[in-house]
This record gives sequence, C-alpha cells and structure tokens, in this order.
Amino acid sequence: MTARKITAPGIPRARPSFYLRYMVEPYVYLSPALVLIALVMLVPLVIGISYAFQSVNLLRPIETGWTGFDNFRTLWSDRKFWLALTNTFWWTAGSITFQFFLGLGLALLLNTSFHGKRLVQALVFLPWAVPTFLSALTWAWLFNPTIGPLPHWLAALGILPEPFNILGDPNLAMWGPITANVWFGIPFFAITLLAALQSIPGELYEAAEIDGASAWQMFTKITLPFLAPMIAITVMLRTIWIANFADLIFVMTGGGPANSTQILSTYIFTTAFRKLDFGYASAIAVALLGLLLVYAAVLLVLRRKLVKI
Amino acid sequence: MARIELQNIAKNYGPVEVMRDINLEIEDGEFIVLVGPSGCGKSTLLRMIAGLEPITEGEFRVDGRRMNEVQPRDRDMAMVFQSYALYPHMDVARNMGFSLEIRKAPSQERADKVRDAAKTLGLTSLTARLPKALSGGQRQRVAMGRAIVRDPSAFLFDEPLSNLDAALRVEMRLEIARLHQRLETTMIYVTHDQVEALTLADRIVVLNAGKIQQVGTPLDLYERPANRFVAQFIGSPTMNILEVEPTDKGVLLKDGTVIGISPGAERPVACDLGVRPEHLNIVPQGSAHFSGKAELVEHLGSDTNIHAHVPSIGQVLVRQHGHFPLKTGDPVHIALELDKVHLFAPDGQRLDTVLGSG
Repeated sequence: MTARKITAPGIPRARPSFYLRYMVEPYVYLSPALVLIALVMLVPLVIGISYAFQSVNLLRPIETGWTGFDNFRTLWSDRKFWLALTNTFWWTAGSITFQFFLGLGLALLLNTSFHGKRLVQALVFLPWAVPTFLSALTWAWLFNPTIGPLPHWLAALGILPEPFNILGDPNLAMWGPITANVWFGIPFFAITLLAALQSIPGELYEAAEIDGASAWQMFTKITLPFLAPMIAITVMLRTIWIANFADLIFVMTGGGPANSTQILSTYIFTTAFRKLDFGYASAIAVALLGLLLVYAAVLLVLRRKLVKI
Repeated sequence: MARIELQNIAKNYGPVEVMRDINLEIEDGEFIVLVGPSGCGKSTLLRMIAGLEPITEGEFRVDGRRMNEVQPRDRDMAMVFQSYALYPHMDVARNMGFSLEIRKAPSQERADKVRDAAKTLGLTSLTARLPKALSGGQRQRVAMGRAIVRDPSAFLFDEPLSNLDAALRVEMRLEIARLHQRLETTMIYVTHDQVEALTLADRIVVLNAGKIQQVGTPLDLYERPANRFVAQFIGSPTMNILEVEPTDKGVLLKDGTVIGISPGAERPVACDLGVRPEHLNIVPQGSAHFSGKAELVEHLGSDTNIHAHVPSIGQVLVRQHGHFPLKTGDPVHIALELDKVHLFAPDGQRLDTVLGSG
C-alpha cells in the first residue's frame, strides 16, 4: 500500500514547473499573430514616430540625424500648420454634422415601409461604393461653371451672385470638398443607423404608444437612447476617418486656393511627397495623432456616462 | 371604469379573414379571459381593443362611445405584454412612471404614485435598478406596476405569465386576482392556459379559428359546454369522446352497450357522447357499462388516472380521486355518471340530453 495524495476540487495540484509552463505556453501559441501584428503595425508606427524627431529630407540627404524636438518647435511657429489645423476642424465638423443628420434622416425614412424599399436601400449605398478619386473628379466638374450645372443653379437660386467656380474662391472653396464628402458619407451613417434602428424591439413602441407617447416623444425617449451607442461609435470612427481623409481635397482643390482648403492630412502629404521632408511631415502626423487620441478618449468617456444599455 | 362593447367585429389581413362575428359585452369591473389555442385570434382581438391593430369591420365602443379610430394613447387602457416590453434604458421607477412622465405630471405626484405601486407589488427595494438586473418575476411585476400607476379605465393582459416558471406563475396568478379585487377595474386577459382562465375569470370567452365558441362563467363552460371544441378545451385531462348511435332505448355504444340517455328534441343519425374522466367510475363488474383493460395507470397522489382500452370503443381515460390500487394490465369495469354526460351533434353542437330512453 502506498499513501495516496488526496486532492480535492479547488485545491491546485500544479507543480512549480507547471506554473512556468502555464505562463509561457500561451504566448508560444500566440506568437505568430503577435509577430505579424508587430511587423505590419507597430514597426511602421514606431519608425514613423521616430522620423518626427529626426531630420529626414530627401533634398538634403547629408543633414540626417536626430534633432530632438526641432521639428515640433518649427511646427509651433508654422503659420501654415495652424491654418491647416483650423481648416481640419471646419472640414471635419462640417462634414460630420451634415453626414450624421442627413444619414439619420435617411435611416428613419428607410425604416418605414414603402413600395420599392429594397431598391432604394441598394441605391442609397451606391455613393459609398464609388472610388473616391472618381467622385472627387465628378464633383470638381460639377462645380466648374463651364461644364457643371451647380454654379448656374446656385446663381439662379440667388445663393451665388453669378455662376463662378466656388473651388477657386478662398472663402467658399472648403464647401466644395465638404459637399462631396457629405454625399459620399451619408450612406455609411444611413446603413449603420438603420441596422441599429431595426434592432429596437417593436413592442417598446407599442408600450410607449399605449403609455400615451407622441411620435416625437417616442423618438427622443426610446429611439435616441437605443441609437446612442451606435451614434457614439460611428461619429468617433467617422471623425477620425474624415480628419485623415485627404483624397477628396487633394483631387478637387489640391489644398488651394491660397491654402484655404489645406487640412493637416493634405499638408502632411504635400510636405512628405512634394517637399520630400519626411521628418517634418511625421511631426505634423504625430500632432494630428495626439489630437485624435484626445478626441477619442473624450468621446469614449462621454459614451460611458450617457449610454445605459 | 369602462363598459366595453364589441359589435360584429371582423379582422382581415389583406384577403385573409382571421376573425369574424365577434360580439361581446364586457361589464364595468368584470374580469374577462380570452382563451383558445395558438392562432385562434385572441391576441389579435386584444390588440384591436388596445388600438395596436386596426379593426376591419364592426364597432368597438367604450361606455357607449365609438373607439375604432381613437389612437391607443387616447383610449385610457393599460397593457401588460407577454415580453413585458420594459424600457431597458430606464430604471424601475422611471419605467413605472413613464406614462406620467409623458403626460408631464408633477414630479411629486409621479414619485408618490410610483412608490405606492412599488409597495403594492413588493418592488420598493428595486426601484433604482435597470430591467436587465431583475429576474423574470420581478420584470413581470414592474410591467404590472407600469399599468397600475396609470390608473386606467381597463387593463389588458397579453399572456402575461407564459414566460414564468410554474411556481411563479401560480404566485403571480394570485397576485393578479388580488389586484382585480382591490382595483375593481375592467380587465381583459388573454391566455392559452385553461387553468389561468378558470381561476381568474368572471367570464371566459373561448375562441377558435377566429370565432367565439362560447361565453360564460368557468362553471358554465365546464358543466354545459356549447360544443365539442369547448368541451375538449376546458377541463384537464381532456374529455372522452365516444361515438354513439341514438336508438329508442337510449344511445348505443359501438360495442352494443345501451346508455340510458337520449338527445332531446330531434334525434340525429349519429352523435358523439362526451364524458369527463372524473365522471367515469371504476365499479364492480355487475354495475359497469363496459369493461376493458388498464393500459397505463398514473398515480398522482391526489388522483389516479387510468388509461383503459375498451374493445371496440377504444381508449378511455378514467380519473379516480385519491390513490386507487390498480396495476397496468388489470381488468377495469367502468360506469358513467349519467347526469354528467354530454351529447354532441355531428357538427359539434351540444344536444340537450334527457335521462332515460328517448
């Protein structure tokens, strides 16, 4: 007879060597994924950020090396950077506001039942599927008075004094890309909000109707609270995308006239690939990254406070 | 307080007629239960009363006033849904006070009413919780609380207990009965569970295939079912139906036994004899109407169910009170309580029975 070690549920039986194995083994299995993520995401990110603290200018290949915060000091006193930052704010705020409210309206319309709903739903999604360069070109032409109808219509409505190209007017040029971006971005909000709307149980509306709620009260007291999580996440994502979204502006105005449509992402692009100053472009990119991180953090905190479901 | 009248109500979905000839008068303060199998239209009828479904034809009146076109919010009725339909983003107190919030009642009045209702339903300690943090029974109570707080002219219940477990269902049933005694408000209650119907109702409305089969007190339905459907739907276990042939001496069972009852006025060629399991008795051989063999004996403690096979008649279920010492395979001799036997015409309608030969 040998004494048997008595084990009971809840009492760990692991030997010390097991402990190490349990600590290390999972990471061995995870390593292919971790290595892949590090290679394709972290390495470029770290290299990109490190450029911000170096002088990397292809036009001056000899003056390379670490420069500390020099790039950021230049940035602080760069008038063009502050202009681009202000423009980024208006570009993003203008685009997101119109995209969101028009998208929400469209989602509410699509959530009702009408004849030909499926066809309309499919059509609504189209702008999202058009390549951005194509839509940018199309909108640039639409705003051109020699070939496009828009300036003539705007003049006929009395919004413009005469049919001219607003993309050439420093005070109005930003409205061109914003209009194109609104057209381009509405489907995203419409489709995501429609999905959220369709997940609201119909019985809640029936209960509210019996409780005496009007259509507006049902919207504010049931629909909006249910949409809130989706609204928070989509607005955050879209804001970040739009702030980084250079295609439309680059094709339609190239940042002009007189830098009136220059946003940070187009400024980064021109600095890097026109002036070939990668160090300074990285510094601007790091500044934009920091701002967007702060924005996302604020929105996530707000979301946690406001959303109860 | 409301007296509800339904007159020739019909409901169509496009070309499909789901309900017709619904005529019903509900007295003020009455507890009416709509009962029937799934798809019989009982929930649709309730939703038409609530205003959630349009009424295709006929007139629906409350206290003499036509309500067909009145919006649900102006009908002054409270409804408890099967799924409870609590607002998941509002705490219990706000859920219960939602109708007052909508009507912009002063916050003091709102708080008082919610507190009273919460006290009645034993929810006082839960008022700050969200619905997701409640058990099924508690959610059910909140849904009832939301209805009580409104102080409506009528309560509508749409299968409110079907999502609860058996024990909780009995408890909530008592609670609803108590609520009705206390409030004395008109209540319309939809269920497919005949026990709920029999225990709660002042009057039961049995529906099948979109038509009212019978309206009556629970005892009416049990003792004088208007047709074979009601007879088989009300009462558990289900009534035995035996084919019989009316003759001069009484009705003739398939095995040749003559039972000393006959249909009253006219005598149809064939009819069905209905007898509830509790109105059949196991007796000594001499006084039996027919004999068979026990195929399955269920001992329930309070009762014993004997599934017997009777040659050329078929399967018969006998229910004896208390413990009955019988085993599978034993021979059984069965007698009918003749004054509790029903006869139904071939179309299912009740025939008045007369004791003795016709």
